[in-house]
Amino acid sequence: MRYDTIIIGGGLSGLVCGIRLQKAGQKCCIVSSGQSALHFSSGCFDFLDRLEDGTVPGNLAECLVSLPESHPYSKIGAETAKKYMGEVPEFFAGCGVRLCGNPYRNSYRMTPMGDMCPTWLSLEDFPLAGEPDAKVADRALVVNIFGYLDFNTAFVADALERNGTVCRVISVRIDEMERLRMNPSEMRATNIARVMDRPEVCGKFIAAVSEELRGEDTIILPAVFGLASDEVLPKIRSSFSADVRFVATMPPSVPGIRTQMKLRKAFEHAGGVYLLGDTVNGAEMSGDKVLSISTSNFGDYRLHADNYVLASGSFFSKGLVAVPDKIYEPVFGLDVDYAGDRKEWYDTDLFSPQNYISFGVATSRDFRPFKDGKPVSNLYAVGSVLSGTNALNEGSGAGTAILTAFRTADLILGRVDSSKAGQSLK
Amino acid sequence: MKTASSDGIYDVIIIGGGATGAGTARDCALRGLKVLLIERHDIATGATGRNHGLLHSGARYAVTDTESARECISENMILKKIARHCVERTDGLFLTLPEDDLGYQDKFVQACRASGIEAEILDPEEALRMEPSANPDIIGAVKVPDGSVDPFRLTSANVIDAKLHGAQILVYNEVTDFIFDKDRIVGVKVLDHVTGEKSCRYGDVIVNAAGIWGAGIAEKAGTKINMFPAKGSLLIFGHRVNNVVLNRCRKPANADILVPGDTICVIGTTSDRVPYDQIDDMRVTPEEVDILLSEGQKLAPCLASTRIIRAYAGVRPLVAVDDDPSGRNISRGIVLLDHETRDGIKGFISITGGKLMTYRLMAELATDLVCKKLGVTAKCVTAEVPLPGSKNESPEEISDKLSSVYANPMRASAGRHGDMASSISHGNEYDLSLVCECEDVSLGEVEYALENLDVNNLVDLRRRTRVGMGTCQGELCACRAAGLLANTKKCVADAKADLRRFMNERWKGMYPVSWGETLRENEYTLWVYAGVCGMNGHASSKTEKEAENEI
Repeated sequence: MRYDTIIIGGGLSGLVCGIRLQKAGQKCCIVSSGQSALHFSSGCFDFLDRLEDGTVPGNLAECLVSLPESHPYSKIGAETAKKYMGEVPEFFAGCGVRLCGNPYRNSYRMTPMGDMCPTWLSLEDFPLAGEPDAKVADRALVVNIFGYLDFNTAFVADALERNGTVCRVISVRIDEMERLRMNPSEMRATNIARVMDRPEVCGKFIAAVSEELRGEDTIILPAVFGLASDEVLPKIRSSFSADVRFVATMPPSVPGIRTQMKLRKAFEHAGGVYLLGDTVNGAEMSGDKVLSISTSNFGDYRLHADNYVLASGSFFSKGLVAVPDKIYEPVFGLDVDYAGDRKEWYDTDLFSPQNYISFGVATSRDFRPFKDGKPVSNLYAVGSVLSGTNALNEGSGAGTAILTAFRTADLILGRVDSSKAGQSLK
Repeated sequence: MKTASSDGIYDVIIIGGGATGAGTARDCALRGLKVLLIERHDIATGATGRNHGLLHSGARYAVTDTESARECISENMILKKIARHCVERTDGLFLTLPEDDLGYQDKFVQACRASGIEAEILDPEEALRMEPSANPDIIGAVKVPDGSVDPFRLTSANVIDAKLHGAQILVYNEVTDFIFDKDRIVGVKVLDHVTGEKSCRYGDVIVNAAGIWGAGIAEKAGTKINMFPAKGSLLIFGHRVNNVVLNRCRKPANADILVPGDTICVIGTTSDRVPYDQIDDMRVTPEEVDILLSEGQKLAPCLASTRIIRAYAGVRPLVAVDDDPSGRNISRGIVLLDHETRDGIKGFISITGGKLMTYRLMAELATDLVCKKLGVTAKCVTAEVPLPGSKNESPEEISDKLSSVYANPMRASAGRHGDMASSISHGNEYDLSLVCECEDVSLGEVEYALENLDVNNLVDLRRRTRVGMGTCQGELCACRAAGLLANTKKCVADAKADLRRFMNERWKGMYPVSWGETLRENEYTLWVYAGVCGMNGHASSKTEKEAENEI
């Protein structure tokens, strides 16, 4: 089987890259081993939440020039990055994913702890605030589903009340939901969402909440609505006189999984091939070129392409593998930037920056990874497998995934002169 | 200063809430004394909770220390009767590897038999049939009645029984000073770490049962116990690779015991002398991890590919008798000090040395001395009277009785609480919701612990229920439990701060082994807690960090 481009990894970065290539007329294949980081997403995309000194940048485009040269944004170049930022909302709208927020500025989202955190763009479930201490409502009804433990109403209500919102917490019992309890581990976000997707159950829920409303101006709900159905969210919003706001839950993330499904659909709708549940387990190389790859499911039957994109994620997604004495990239054996001494991998305080998060494959300015010190000519790396950024500490995971995917697609399509990649930076 | 009401005066005040202190509190209470136990952290936080959880048969000490061996086999048989829900009868094997001297085996078997420990030489093939995970290269094997014991359950059961018999337990209270009346200690000054309040407590006899920290307690009383802090590091693996305790049949050395416990197994230990001022901050080094792994694989080769859940270290409370730097050649014997005859300080005794296995015997000896001082003649009954949890049916019978469709959480809680599990509400589906999937901890069990078992924070809750002790080390359950804690304690800010501490306490055991699956798990945890929940960025203050280190 021959493709124009084969993408290894079907998460945010791999899908965005695949959609962009496919829509430009390429024939692409994505090999995905399963779930991605979208499955435990906050429902918001972060671009650059914090600078090194801890401050939250307001204007995102302006602060790009202050980043180190090794940062993926710097490799793209400030001007190109700014152009891409502006394209993001329309790109996702074209895939059926509506994003809220200003693509050039940070806004604030409410965390499952009830705190306000900087973020870039949000899925439509989550309205964003301009300021961290914005008052969300005068009076709020915080609603949980009886027995659901991954939405902490006490945390949310406490945080709202600190900013002056009067809260009332209730939990709603729906008979259809009780069936989930036949197995005590079933009260999870996606299972609830699946039941809520049924119009009659959603209707019952709306009726139950309406009955409890005592003049509150805002209803706060856990984000467990609208997994496969597009009708649930609009229906809930239009059924109450009060504003409805959703708060992200502990994993799995219903909005994240919905987004993953929509992006996959958009990719396949454009003619792409998405191989789910398969793992790339080896590559055939000749000189500085990748000739083919092999997968677990296809066995001896090899997949060929002109170009390859490594979007395999970091440790959790097995894009990188750590053993006691080294860190390696398992598919191509690419050069990885990491500290040689194991003690340098971590900080003993969990919530301080962890070095290992910034480890990743080394690339040239046009995102070509190195193998034995030499760039591979028809391979690109995108998203969290890259080095040069501590995506968790600076809050740049989604931004890096999307922008490096755009950039790589454009490089493959010849839309940019790769010899000038990153030249516009300074 | 003497502001305490009538309930401020006790027959005996015990300092230290490890197995020995809890056992002494129980013994004293069963003999009718008015008891106060004071612990500066939670129960079972010191060496009690930081060892193999090995129910020694005594075989390990048979060659080098007959006295300890005899004590162990005797207590082994007692615990199998009185603490059924805390122990597991696994048996143990002493393996001889090609690099070991097979001649040691005869000496070992004779020494075991001389101490009353059943020791049966097995053919290597037979030993491998009994324990398939053992190194197939073994050239000899001896079967002994080793087992495993859950020190948290054991200590908790002693505390529960002490309370049932009128004892008062103060956790998170630290003894800051002693109150003297001429040459007699008549009480202690106490600082409550939760409220910050100071108080005085008066008692006729004060028992120092503070383990390695007992040296500091003795100093406060104006005397000296020459303690010998020896750090021992261990690794917990995510699978129970062996069902039988595996030991090396040689002179005791590093990493030569592999103990199965619940769903995991533990390899240990190392032994290194540490300065006394470091005993509150035990961290496992990469070098120790490497030793434990390479030696452990000699007992069970599959450990090489088994996921490591965490690393931890404890400090043995050995009383120094010579200058051996390894800490292995001194007796693990029990040391009971009457400071009246030793130092001229009346009303003060210390019980130290010994080991988890002999906690009950240590408690008996200490209580005998307390009773002698008080003129009380009641006899010790702790060798016969079962602990709460083991009073009636066995954990298996309890779980059969409790089981309905929701079998797993029921079985798990019966395993953890023995016959006390019948007090856990599993009446409706809400109570059966799972808080911790790894360890099958139900909401009913968490609420039972929060209400009945002196739980101040999430780490305490973990010791009572195993919430957060499983493979994922608290990924989702910590947040759920924090929500329940917030409801019970009616304080969200505390619960959130506590969640942070809890996650950091879990990390303390994970970073020494942060590669492979452990690193993957941590990355996921970080994306959830630091990312989605936004808990990153605010590095804890120095004092907060120090407090976390002491956990």
